[in-house]
Amino acid sequence: MYPPEFEYVAVGAWEEAVTVLSDLADEDPRVLAGGQSLVPMMNLGLAGPTHVVDLNAIAGGQIRADGDAIVIPALTRHETLARSALAQQSAPLLAEAASLIGNLRVRHRGTIGGSLAHADPSAELPAALLASGGEVVTAGTDGGRAIAADEFFLGFYETALRPAELIREIRVPSATPGSGSAFVEFVRRSGDFAVVGIAADVLLEPASGLCLGATLVACGVGDRPVALHDAASLLLGTEPEAIIDSVAERAAELVDPHGGGGVSASYRRHLVGVLARRALEHALERALEGAAERAREARS
Amino acid sequence: MDSVRTRRALRVVGRSISHRDFEEKVRGEMAYADDARMPGMLHGRVVRSAVPCATIRSIDTSVARALPGVRAVLTSDDVPFNAISEAVTGFGMDQITMPVLAGSSVRYQGEPVAIVAAETPQIAARAAECVLVDYEDLPGVFDPWEALDPAAPSVHPDGNLLVAWWIRTGDAAAALAGAPVVVEGTYRSQHVDHAYLEPEGGMAWIDGDGVLTMRVSTQVVEHVREVARIVGLAQSRVRVIGSYMGGGFGGKEDMTVEPYLALLALHTRRPVKMIWSRQESLLARPKRHPFTMTYRTGATREGQIVAQQVDIVGDAGAYPLLSPRVLFAAAVCAAGPYRVPNVDVNSRAVLTNNVPTSAFRGFGAMQVTLGYESQMDRLAEAVGMSPQEVRRLNYLREGDVLPTGETLPTYPALDEVTRAAVEAMGSGPETGDPRHRVGRGFATNMQPYGRTVFFADHASAWVGYEPDGSVTVRAGVTDLGGGQAASLAQIAAEVLGAEPDRVSVHIGDTSLTPSAGGTFATRQLYMSGNAVLQTATELRDAVTPVAAELLGAAAGDLLVFAEGGVGVEGTDRRVTLTELVSACEDSGVDLARLSTFRPPRGEFDTRTGRGKTFPDYTFGTHAVDVDVDLDTGRVRILRYVACHDVGRAINPQRVEGQIQGGAVQGIGYALSEEIVIEEGNNQSSLFADYLIPTAADVPDVETIVLEVAEGKGPFGARGIGEAPIGPTAAAVANAIAAATGIRLTQLPFTPERVLEALRSAGEGGV
Amino acid sequence: MTQKQRLVFELNGTPVDVWAFPYQTLLDVLREEAGSSEVKYGCGEGVCGTCTVLLDDESVNSCLLLAPQAAGRRVTTVRGLGTDGELHPLQVAFLEYGGSQCGFCTPGMLLAAVEFVRAADTPSRDDIREAISGNLCRCTGYSKILDAIESYVASRAEGEGRDG
Repeated sequence: MYPPEFEYVAVGAWEEAVTVLSDLADEDPRVLAGGQSLVPMMNLGLAGPTHVVDLNAIAGGQIRADGDAIVIPALTRHETLARSALAQQSAPLLAEAASLIGNLRVRHRGTIGGSLAHADPSAELPAALLASGGEVVTAGTDGGRAIAADEFFLGFYETALRPAELIREIRVPSATPGSGSAFVEFVRRSGDFAVVGIAADVLLEPASGLCLGATLVACGVGDRPVALHDAASLLLGTEPEAIIDSVAERAAELVDPHGGGGVSASYRRHLVGVLARRALEHALERALEGAAERAREARS
Repeated sequence: MDSVRTRRALRVVGRSISHRDFEEKVRGEMAYADDARMPGMLHGRVVRSAVPCATIRSIDTSVARALPGVRAVLTSDDVPFNAISEAVTGFGMDQITMPVLAGSSVRYQGEPVAIVAAETPQIAARAAECVLVDYEDLPGVFDPWEALDPAAPSVHPDGNLLVAWWIRTGDAAAALAGAPVVVEGTYRSQHVDHAYLEPEGGMAWIDGDGVLTMRVSTQVVEHVREVARIVGLAQSRVRVIGSYMGGGFGGKEDMTVEPYLALLALHTRRPVKMIWSRQESLLARPKRHPFTMTYRTGATREGQIVAQQVDIVGDAGAYPLLSPRVLFAAAVCAAGPYRVPNVDVNSRAVLTNNVPTSAFRGFGAMQVTLGYESQMDRLAEAVGMSPQEVRRLNYLREGDVLPTGETLPTYPALDEVTRAAVEAMGSGPETGDPRHRVGRGFATNMQPYGRTVFFADHASAWVGYEPDGSVTVRAGVTDLGGGQAASLAQIAAEVLGAEPDRVSVHIGDTSLTPSAGGTFATRQLYMSGNAVLQTATELRDAVTPVAAELLGAAAGDLLVFAEGGVGVEGTDRRVTLTELVSACEDSGVDLARLSTFRPPRGEFDTRTGRGKTFPDYTFGTHAVDVDVDLDTGRVRILRYVACHDVGRAINPQRVEGQIQGGAVQGIGYALSEEIVIEEGNNQSSLFADYLIPTAADVPDVETIVLEVAEGKGPFGARGIGEAPIGPTAAAVANAIAAATGIRLTQLPFTPERVLEALRSAGEGGV
Repeated sequence: MTQKQRLVFELNGTPVDVWAFPYQTLLDVLREEAGSSEVKYGCGEGVCGTCTVLLDDESVNSCLLLAPQAAGRRVTTVRGLGTDGELHPLQVAFLEYGGSQCGFCTPGMLLAAVEFVRAADTPSRDDIREAISGNLCRCTGYSKILDAIESYVASRAEGEGRDG
């Protein structure tokens, strides 16, 4: 009900944060970004850090394009990401995933950096990042590095971040023209954590409508987001509508979920199939809409 | 002089006027239990057992005591009378006592073992964690059916069958044997939590006269007597004030923080505040009884019911609390609102090492609705009649005799409520999506209001005119947000002629308000409403001769008390209440009355299962359209119509609000709410995991409020607090059956359960 | 041992200058140090919305903010709606339509509704329903709350009752 005692440190820059955290290496510091995961844990007595290092004074910056990438500062709030026209256009999976998080109050405070670092296996943003082929850029004692999404999520609430290393920004390749994506999840009640979520992306060849690329990633089915390559790859070179059902079926076969939280493993597996189909259908629709839009523009 | 009692003459009762407490609520100025503080106040915390069934080998409080800022750490040794034991059944049955603080053993996860008081809530929380209890696990029993096995571990010394009620009329076994049509079903309900938004809590202090005083979010200020016994004080030296509750629903009917506040305040001689966390509440507070209900319904080929045989087993958890009464209400209502010549109901409360179960809106009569209304639809199918036809054929009629041998007290407007609800639904639901099914169902319930008549239930009220003609009411009611206080103001205003905003109601203070009994069993309007009506009427009758003289009224003239004055009907002769009061003082007529409403008593014979039970019932029908997603099993409610006969709506808007709120709680019960307990361990103690409906999860509940048949409440009102939570689950089950052909019998109907059932029937899946 | 720190912020248009431990939540600070008992504790998890306040006009879970995070910010509670003791038209609508029963969710619900209506042009009832889906109510079944908000939206569209 009440967070236990801790010392509070506010930092104004990433480098300062790194220094503070390294200095506290022998203590038990936790980092405060949005606080929508950390503070509940403290309220429930599940986290009792010695120090809380508040990052919120670090200058955030805007979501921006940088060459063929989209750069999202780590402290970008979920609602900001969800509403960003640039993100909706060029990092659509992340924007859509952010819009599905919790309730509006959580989205006003929660950050993408916090969500990725927390690495809840049911969370939407890790799956969306993985599906987008993105990476996190860190600040650390060695200066910082880029870590690809498929090397970042290591397990249950576990990431590749080293002690005193923080995510400072997220980079994703700009969405390719001709692609369409969708993030679909199943919740038991409005605003809930996702039981299972699927991020889907398809890239279509403009003239033929054949699939040039496809991605499927699931959350809520293991200790980290799971890329379903063997299912997605079935779409390559095909007309996707024709085989969506079998792709979805294959996706369900690929996962090995756990039971828990009132939901059984077999139901989660079943949902993967259902949601994969729905996500692919939406993604396809959007890809085709996008293609039609460009064709109209080209003609005018 | 009784013209104020005629329906046409009502001016205040029957209007949807607001009351002062609602304005305070929208302003944010309502002071709930946590919103008062006192200088020097300490903060209390309960230490709770982490295990469901264990011997306590030792409790080490030394670390906790040594923390700076800790002012008290108390265990069972510090409790003068360590037993909570109300006369639960009213039949003088042997009590099992529940300790205030567990001493030698714990029987459920979350059972209180110690209490601490500290300077800040943070320190109190730390101190509670530092109380070291050495448990030795014992084998427990977590399923009522296992608990009935003589070889099962015993929760209390005398075996696990807490109480067995039975109600018999005719010969159900023989009738079933000979019935051409028999439908059977076993229905199971789950543990659910009240989930009021305001957690339990309060504050206690010792006042200037040395009276132990506490202000608590409670439905029952009369627990003051229990508190006094526990701490060893005279009952007149303890005072309980009931703050306006942020919801109750039965969860604040048993004591919550009272005994702990009392012990800590007396020990420290300082004010103590204790507010429970949501997680603590979800973990350890009493829940609704899960029932297993096995029904056998026998009928003729024309659909006429000849027999109902019902077996109910309820999980009472580790301590009785109100279990005997809940299972009694279930037994009385088990056959449903139907004419059944042969009835055989067994209703048992069984002890387990699960969380104790107790009162929750509907109180046993609610759970059985799923049983009898599922049976009716099954019967309809078996005999080829519509659900409506088969019910109409069998509904209770005026003057019918219930299975207990008592005559139905009032007219049951069953046809009316059903017709209204079903007709309001209009044409049936449709869908063009091949992966969805839609269907319609309805259910009718009977819910008692008022306590069983073999209790000497009573309620008192004090009503008085102030010199300026305003009115003061003092009644021991507690207000859980359903307008309990507001309704009394309306009634007093109606009778005494004051404008509603000139009536003050002072509630829930054992030192200052006459005892009204608690706010539960949908009894307050019936009991305190009648008490205020009676008292106000006595007062009005006493001042009437003075008014008549002032107005020069002749014999046969009608005096009308209205709009702040008294007038002679048909003339413009009028005096203000101020003038009347002044004249009364001159004449030596008392301007206040204290009176007690005592409803007729009755007797019930537990040997024969016959006698008088509840004063009356409220009847209603809810109809729903559902959409079932064949791929995920998710059930969405497309439309919901709820109709109840309330006799008289004292405040129509509030009546609607009760119906809508109850129905939505019913939706949560039907589709998503469940406290999962595995081997005595509660898996659902986060609010994130306990799924009460949000606005996006439910449709608007369209309400139809009928005023068909007078009830026993003031102005012919029937209690509406509990009735609307009853029909939902059965209506949804019937609608799912209509949509998919699947008959679901285990609550809640989660997407996974629905999908499982669809698959078993060969329907669902990708 | 951690010391209390000075915390200066604006509460319903008035400057507040209090001392709080950094590990106190904003909810705790508002209730205990700033006299704002109208902000309620419901769950401590960010799920129920009873602790909703506006932080620089954005709804947040006050139970999930730490005291230092309010420094220099504008906090609005339900007592900051309306002006000079006069009720905000939405509060009037709640009274008229019966949007409160026990009232415990009401402060948070009103703020969520005000925030939504400020930004929404011509919201449908379903839009409003979505907007308040993050605030739990256990008493009303939500219909009368929606009635009240809808009526407020309608009256605003007609030019009456500009919101505060």
